Formats: sequence, structure tokens, C-alpha cells
Amino acid sequence: MSRSSTLFAGLAACFALSLGLCVLLPQAQLGSLAPDFKEEDGKISDVYPTLTGGIASAGREVYISQGCQACHSQVVRGAETTDMERGWGVRRTVARDYLFENPPVLGVRRIGPDLANVGASGWRNEPANDSARPAKRDATWHFLHLYHPTAIIKVSNMPAYKGLFDLRKITGSPSLDALALPAEMAPPSGYEVVPKAEAKSLVAYLLSLDRSHPLKEAGAVAVAAKKN
Amino acid sequence: MTEVVLTENPRAPLAPTAVELTAEQRSAVDIAVRPVVVWLFLTSVCWLLAATSLGAFAALKLHFPRLLDYTCMSYGRLAPAAQGAFVFGWCSTAALGVVSWLLPRLGGSVAPGTTVASLGVVLWNAGVLLGVFANIAGILRPIEGLEFPFASFVLMFGGLSLLAAWILLGLSAAGTKSLAGMFVAGGLLWLGWSLFTGNLLIATKSVVGVVEQIVGAWTASGVLWLWLVPVALGVAYYIVPKVTGRPIFSGSTGRSLFWLYFLCAGLLGANRLSGGPVPLWLVSVSASASLLLLVPVLGAVFNLCATAKDSEHLSTSPSLRFVLFGSLLLGVAALASAFGSLRSINYAVRFTMFESGVQTLLLSGAVSMILFGAIYFIMPRLSGCEWLSSTLISVHFMGGAYGACMGGAMLVLSGLASGSILTEGDSTFSQVIETGSAYYWGNTISYGILWVAYAAFALHFLLVALRIGQPAGEPTLFRVKRGH
Repeated sequence: MSRSSTLFAGLAACFALSLGLCVLLPQAQLGSLAPDFKEEDGKISDVYPTLTGGIASAGREVYISQGCQACHSQVVRGAETTDMERGWGVRRTVARDYLFENPPVLGVRRIGPDLANVGASGWRNEPANDSARPAKRDATWHFLHLYHPTAIIKVSNMPAYKGLFDLRKITGSPSLDALALPAEMAPPSGYEVVPKAEAKSLVAYLLSLDRSHPLKEAGAVAVAAKKN
Repeated sequence: MTEVVLTENPRAPLAPTAVELTAEQRSAVDIAVRPVVVWLFLTSVCWLLAATSLGAFAALKLHFPRLLDYTCMSYGRLAPAAQGAFVFGWCSTAALGVVSWLLPRLGGSVAPGTTVASLGVVLWNAGVLLGVFANIAGILRPIEGLEFPFASFVLMFGGLSLLAAWILLGLSAAGTKSLAGMFVAGGLLWLGWSLFTGNLLIATKSVVGVVEQIVGAWTASGVLWLWLVPVALGVAYYIVPKVTGRPIFSGSTGRSLFWLYFLCAGLLGANRLSGGPVPLWLVSVSASASLLLLVPVLGAVFNLCATAKDSEHLSTSPSLRFVLFGSLLLGVAALASAFGSLRSINYAVRFTMFESGVQTLLLSGAVSMILFGAIYFIMPRLSGCEWLSSTLISVHFMGGAYGACMGGAMLVLSGLASGSILTEGDSTFSQVIETGSAYYWGNTISYGILWVAYAAFALHFLLVALRIGQPAGEPTLFRVKRGH
């Protein structure tokens, strides 16, 4: 065998090993995952995860297109890290959580907090007893936060996504979904700020993010018991 | 066909290059590859400036998130565009130029069809351009390192195939005899294989969910560690013996380490997903591979330094200085990467700027400096004109070296600082961010330094391409202060 063919054969072998170990084997292990469910008397209930559809799934596209994943992860790690102590989740996230996401927006950096469970009621990014902690992170809160982050969180380093909102002249009675802005950032009188369709779907997506459903491979029960 | 008759050298493996070509043969190869290589270098230099400008703006955005608050100017879109322009626009295009020159030069033969290869250059650049604009317009894939849309990879892969076919068809057996040829040919093949496999698996939805991210990490890590780094090592194994006029310190060790390198580097991908929802064994494999990778990387760095030890060309040759400095930084980047993959360290530094810092050391530092060294070596041979000014080369070297080290160090320190606060459960997340962001200014300033250095290089490159420089014959060297 000539020297070049030895080289090419050797490289092909390295490539095959790399592909086999780092791609095909994980695919064999995770490729056949299915949703978790309960079965009682032939009835299936409590299916998790389910396919996110409609407006929230459109919101996922907005999330990706705005590049949110450059600063936000959607990964909660196990108890060996402080991820759960910070209020980002009650259990670590596992492959089954991302079954219907192609690809999941895992993220690599946290210039902002993790958002894997930002739609869950217990989610927080402040110490549990902090006075700065908002009472509720509902749609109204998210709209205001996207429009003007520092209005709500003084030290926030998030860009203001004003492009997701319309500044509109009020004709007739004000819109129901107009933002209730504090005086210093309110639009000129006779005008209102209303979320565009993108903002609405983005917020619907954020509110849909909840990966706290118990899964046995995530050890959710053990963690929940430890907390109480 | 520009076929050059070879005279086989029986002692070839020990010699700096596999085949000793006569001056006429060398210049015949240079003339044949010139149009392709110069176009690749020229476009890569344009990308270098574009990527550095985008990167500087993205870095500034970390202090002033609401500066020029347009949707297309957010950090989330600028950062992937800058990264893609740097990796695929500058590093990969310049590396393709180096490969298109080096393999024909080593083998002594060039395939016909430079027109087809030039079409490859156009397609490759069109793909990168499409990718950068798509990212800024908000069309991106949420996969770190592969944010360019699928369409742009189709164009890039088309261009790469034409170029690689042209290079490999002209490849004679002598071309891959030397260590330089092995590394460079290995990198070229791996880039083609992994870009094709990775994008195909993702685009055809053959893998879904978390596995899609695993494939993405494997592909993107391959572009760095199995394409850019092997080309850099190949260039170093060519230039160091060539400039010093000595054989490689240990050719046989170099060969063994070559195989160990490709074996280990192929397993690095999952480092980017550590702690995430991927199988634990996969992350362990990658972490072990980054530790084991230290052997071939540090071995190669030692081999190169031992070859150049005490050479009188160290103080005068720009190519040698760029290449050796880049090799040393490669060692540093591999050490930092291995350190960050240790499990206890990884818990802290994961999701911080640490990984970006290592990548800066690897790309702006090691890979870019070695590619600069190669361009300083190759361009005079193609244009028949030596570089105009050793001062401009000095400015480029100092700025490039200082900027890359400073930028990398600042991000690594930012990662370590915020990581150490992150591990304390009673710290608030704003404290974590504030601690890390104290180092962002250093990163932004480093971009300013890099920009000046790269602008000096771009100007100098343009001059030599237009044949404005020193008369041929006398290479442009650093001036040495003579003591006595």
C-alpha cells in the first residue's frame, strides 16, 4: 500500500471512530426516546412532553431569530451546581425534556439567567426572600421587560426589544393590550405602545417553558423531597 | 497540465520537504496555483477585517446593550455573524489558500482546472457571505458554531468540493510524505467529511432533539480541532524546518503524535454540552480526550521549538516568529481547554465566558498567527515581490500577539471570576454577571488593538499583491540591533 493510501485509510478509520462514538452511539441511546405517561385501566394520562403548537411554537422561532440563545441557556444542571438553588428549576433537565425541539435551544453562555423553566410558577432569579423579586412573571411583566428591561430590573444588561412593539396613535378608545408604562418612558400623549404579533408569540413561548414535570431519570422526586 | 518532473530523493523523510524541487520546478508550481491562492488570501483578508469589526461591535454591546438599539444589531445576532465570519471567512479561507499552495509545492505537481478551482473560491465566499447576512437578518440555527443557515453550508460545501477535488487530483504520492503534508491533507479531508455528514444529518432530520445538538457540537468542534488546528500544525511543520534549514527534531515522534492527535481530537465535541441533557459517558469521553490531546499538541510544540532552537533566523524571519509564537499559543489553548474540562472546574466555568476565551486564544492566537506566518512566507513567492516594510510586519506581530493574548486572557479570567462566584449558592445572579463583566473592557480594548494590527496587515497584503514592495531577491526581515 502506498503512503497516501495508508494515510487516507488511517484518517478514515479515525473519522469512523469519531462518528461512531460521538454521533451514532448517542443516537442509538437517545434516538428512540418517547414521551413519558401514566397508564391506569388502559387509560393513558399525564403525557410529557407534548408537542408545543400554535403561537408558542411561532414564539420559539422569534426567540431563535432574535438570538436569545446567545445569552440565555435552557439547561438546568444537577445538584452538584447551584442551578437549582438559584430558582431556575426543581430538577435537572434531561434529554426527554427536549423531545419535540429540533434543535433544542440549549445555549452555551449565561449573560442572562437560564430560561428552561421561566414559565413555571416557582421560577425566580433572585434570592427567595429578595424584595426585588417580582410577584408574578406573567405576560404583562414579560411585555414590559422586553420593551424596557431596566424599568423592571435596574441592573439588567439585556437589550430593549422595542422593535417587537408598535408605537401607535390612539384612534377611538385605547387598545386593550397597550403597555402600562411608567411616566418617564410613556409615549407622547395620544399614542400607545402595543406588542406586535412577534412579541405576543415570544411571550407565549416564554410562558410555555416549564420542564418541571417529574421524570424518573431526572431524579425529580429525590430533589423535591430534599427541598421540603 | 502543469506536470513537474520529479527527482526522488532517497533521504526524503528526514529532509524539510519530501521532495527537493529545483528552482524552476518550484516557480512552475507557484505560477500554476497563483490565481487560486491569491484569490483565497485576498478574500480571507477582507473577511478578517469584517469579522474583527463585527466582533468589536459585539464586544462593545456587552457594555452598552442598548447602543444602536436596532433588532439587527443585537449581541445575539452580531456574535454568531462575527464568529462565522472569523472561522469560515478568515481562518478557513486563508487555510484553504495555504493548502492549495502547500500540497502542490510538496508534491511538485498541480492538477489542471484552475478555473474550476476559482469557481470553488467564489462559491465558498458566497456561502460565507450569505451566512453572515442571514445571521444579521435573524435567520440562524441555534447551534453554537454552526449558526449559518443550511443553504450557506450547501454553497460552502460546493466550493470546498471543487477546491478539494482540484488539490487532491494534483496530489502526488510525494505530497503526503512529509508531516506537513499529512497534517494538511488530513485537515482538508476531515473538513469535507464532517461538514457533509453533520449538515446532512441535521438537515434531513435524521437526528432530532438533543442528538441534533450533539451532532452540531461534533461538527463545529471538528472545524476547529480537525481542520484549522491540523492545517496550522502542518504549516508549522513546513515553515520551521524550511526557514531554519534543519530537519524536524524528531520526525518519527511527529508521525506517531499525528495519529494520536487525530484519534483524540475526533472525540472532543461533547465538551460543549457538558452538564447538559446528554449522556454522561459522552461528556466523560470528551473530557478525557481533551486531557489526552495534550500529549500530541505539547509534543508537536516541543518538536517545533527543538527544531528552531538557537537558530539565527529566530530574530530575523517574520514567518518563523509568527509560526513559533502561534505554536506556543496552541499549547496554551490546549492546556486551558483541558483545564476547563476537568469536572470540578467545569461545574464553575461552564456557561461563562471561559470557553470563548479559550476559543480566542486558539483562533485569534494560535491559528491566525500561524496563518499570518504562512502568508508572509507564500505571498512573495507568488507575486515576485517582497514585503515593503519590516516596521509594518512588526506592528502586525506586536498588535496581533498582544491583542489575541489580552482578549483571550480577559475572557478566561472573566469566566474564572464569575465561575467562582457562581459556585457560591448565596450569591445573586446579578453579582455573578457584574463580576464577570469587569473584564469585558479588556476584551473590547483588545479588539481595538487587533483591528489596528490587522489593518496594517491588510494594507501590506494589498501592496504586495499589487507588487508594490522591495525588489525580489532579498526577503524582508526584522531589523536586528547589532551589539558589537
